[in-house]
Amino acid sequence: MELTETLKAQIIEALNLDGMTPEDIDSSAPLFGDEGLGLDSIDALELILLMEKNYGIKLKNPAEGKEIFKSVETMASYIEKNRTK
Amino acid sequence: MKEVKIYSDGRVVIDGTETIYEQKGMALLEHLYRTEVRDYPKFFKMDALCKLGFLAVELLVRDEKDRFTPREDRAVILFGKSGPLCNDRNYQATVADFPSPSLFVYTLANIVTGEIAIRNKYKGESSFFVMSEKDEKTMKNTLEEAFQDPMTAEAVTGWINCMEENDFEAEIKIIVK
Repeated sequence: MELTETLKAQIIEALNLDGMTPEDIDSSAPLFGDEGLGLDSIDALELILLMEKNYGIKLKNPAEGKEIFKSVETMASYIEKNRTK
Repeated sequence: MKEVKIYSDGRVVIDGTETIYEQKGMALLEHLYRTEVRDYPKFFKMDALCKLGFLAVELLVRDEKDRFTPREDRAVILFGKSGPLCNDRNYQATVADFPSPSLFVYTLANIVTGEIAIRNKYKGESSFFVMSEKDEKTMKNTLEEAFQDPMTAEAVTGWINCMEENDFEAEIKIIVK
């Protein structure tokens, strides 16, 4: 399975998006804000934990999060480059 | 007066007209979202109580003209017994491992009134009253008090209860001062 698809499933599980399927998530749509998935700062914590737990990535600079968590695509691209597991 | 009722056994009543769905419990709520709303993915983040309240109000106000124009004259005042009990249980289950922030934010009863207010851009009063039993007299008195505020002309109000994810009811209406 492609990383973006795996990531969608992991996001659904981590954020308890009950009833949502990976097909409901547009890979390039914004994760935060009113458009797209509509996540907020609390969800950002879950995404940081998800990257640490599943890919061994510790986000050292929280300011980077804004770019990394723009969409599933940008998140997958960051994980590809920085994963330790 | 407009009124929407949603029951976990599949019954949905809109202004007295009842439809019985084959979907029950959370499957009913997901079905209603996918067929009647579709454009608010934040729905999937919500706990059961918020999903129920959100959908009841969607069905209640969906035909209103200019429904997303911000307004301060409509309050959201709900009553219920369970509060976010279902979500509290789910949150408690995560505590032993790592407490889930996304579940934690739904451990307050009045999050449902906030979700409704955010979606519909209601800027007026927003309150949730937890009662041991449905007490119509106290509900009426509470609404009368809310209408003392000169800003409040209408209220989305009613009973909303979710004891289990497959045991819930919402009876929501709009009343005018």
